[in-house]
Amino acid sequence: MILHLRRESRMYATFGFVAICILVLPLIIDSIWVKVLTSAAIFTLAAYGVSLLYSHLGLVNLSQVALVGAGGWIMLRLNYAADFPFEVNLLISAVITAFIGMVLALPAIRMKGLYLALITLMIAGGFQIILSAIQFPNGGSGFFGVALQSPGEMRRPVIAESDTAYLRYSIVIVVFGIMLAAAHKFSRPGRAWAMIRKSEANAMAAGVNVTFYKLWCFTLSGFLAGTAGGLLAGALKILDAKSFPAGESILLFALAIVGGVGHWMGAVIAGFLYRVLPAIFNNIGIDADLSLVIFGAALLHAIMTAPNGIAGQISTLFQAWGRQNK
Amino acid sequence: MIKISDLTVHFGGVVALDNITVDIQDDIVGVIGPNGAGKTTLINVLSGFVLPDSGAIDVEGVDLLSLAPHRRARWGLARSFQKVQTADNLSVADNIWVSLDTSASIGMRKSAALNRVLEYVGLVDMANVPAAMLNPCQRRMTELARCLVASPRIVLLDEPGGGLSECEVDRLRYVIGNIKANFGAQVLLIDHDVELIRSVCSKTMVLDFGEIIAYGPTETVLQDENVKAAYLGTEIGT
Ligand SMILES: Nc1ncnc2c1ncn2[C@@H]1O[C@H](COP(=O)(O)OP(=O)(O)OP(=O)(O)O)[C@@H](O)[C@H]1O
Ligand SMILES: [Mg+2]
Repeated sequence: MILHLRRESRMYATFGFVAICILVLPLIIDSIWVKVLTSAAIFTLAAYGVSLLYSHLGLVNLSQVALVGAGGWIMLRLNYAADFPFEVNLLISAVITAFIGMVLALPAIRMKGLYLALITLMIAGGFQIILSAIQFPNGGSGFFGVALQSPGEMRRPVIAESDTAYLRYSIVIVVFGIMLAAAHKFSRPGRAWAMIRKSEANAMAAGVNVTFYKLWCFTLSGFLAGTAGGLLAGALKILDAKSFPAGESILLFALAIVGGVGHWMGAVIAGFLYRVLPAIFNNIGIDADLSLVIFGAALLHAIMTAPNGIAGQISTLFQAWGRQNK
Repeated sequence: MIKISDLTVHFGGVVALDNITVDIQDDIVGVIGPNGAGKTTLINVLSGFVLPDSGAIDVEGVDLLSLAPHRRARWGLARSFQKVQTADNLSVADNIWVSLDTSASIGMRKSAALNRVLEYVGLVDMANVPAAMLNPCQRRMTELARCLVASPRIVLLDEPGGGLSECEVDRLRYVIGNIKANFGAQVLLIDHDVELIRSVCSKTMVLDFGEIIAYGPTETVLQDENVKAAYLGTEIGT
């Protein structure tokens, strides 16, 4: 009974938060912050993918931002090549990126811990090189479509042409993406992941195809990265190869830990820290690189004292508060 | 029926199983032997976690060694591990569902199977409790329930009585002793608790240094001079 009440109140809190983000936030912030928040929402989705892999399977993925770049690349390519609606392009980008994520995970899947992390980091490095070599399509001719002048037009969804509408649109997609991934937790893959996490041998002994479910998690994480990349392409309209270096993937992973893995709020905090904090610093005239120092300290703090991240601390706080008010 | 022929397993210089040949036909068969005798290795080979250097295993006409571990499980081979392995963040029911997820039967039958097995091991009230909150005995029972829920053909239990108190072992004795009658599976039971073996196993196999030094009706085997010698220093009941 108590458990139910708690779950219900948590659900209301979630709905409230999403409603405020969609309805109120876009009204009270000015145009620069609309852009910043759009990008924060988008990277929330990417961070959720990283956190999914880490919280369910203990796998470290240091190539997520690279996959966001891949998703963005495909989205731009489709935009100039085909007349499909935005949503169709977005879905295709997500699916192809999910596939890329799965293929890249194939060699990595037998590795664990540091070795896996290193492999994913090398993959991110590879993407960085490829992207800066071929550039993002911008409407030029040919398959790669890179024009030096007069870039073409990146279409947005018909219902979300303006920046404000696009922020709302992005939040809705991000919420759907997170719900899709979170639904896994309470079904067959979630159970399989939990068993694998406890012991791979035991999972196999229970009939679980360990390789398949690990790949599934990578694929899902790639799907979220691809969606994020597609949304980012729509938000910025032009992507720059320099925005997806391998280091950013490490940063996003670190922030996912700081925010707290295994909970959507942790990913929201990660997206906020990743995009909003540096913008705030810029705004008040502090060097944005200072945020890196803060991230480092926060990561140390998370590793040493807050294994569930900031989200975990907040929820502990609320639980304590709930107990006092009973 | 499990038919093992000429099974040999080496770990570097250690001969864990030395050219074992045996037909296991009884419903519940005990496997005993001193530490390091090769008992766990035998179960690991049967379930696919250790590949033998040579030999063959035929279970009900199926060449087990040709299947990957998870395929053996789906075929109907369930096992528990020496160390309890429940997933702490899943509820008791979800721990058991993992096995149902991989079985082919339909949804309605699955929940019926779940309820039946929960009742059998006495965890009906705990179905929705996270495994993290269970005591060692309840974890063991959860694991046994997971082994039994998907109608296995063979159940391999590696020291399920380890670390349990006397009265918990009584419960365990009931649960293991009635597997064949309730679920139809053949059981291979490793345990150091000779009383447990004596009360549920009609036949028992004794391993020592990777060799079967005795195999036959449990009472006869326990009176065997070779067996007593192998256990020298360890109490083997009277
Ligand atoms: N994976 C492994 N690698 C190397 N040696 C192993 C491995 N597994 C088992 N051994 C060795 O094989 C021998 C048999 O071990 P096994 O675990 O089968 O014994 P056991 O009869 O189960 O003992 P216990 O009663 O202590 O559980 C031991 O000498 C052990 O050290
Ligand atoms: Mg053993």
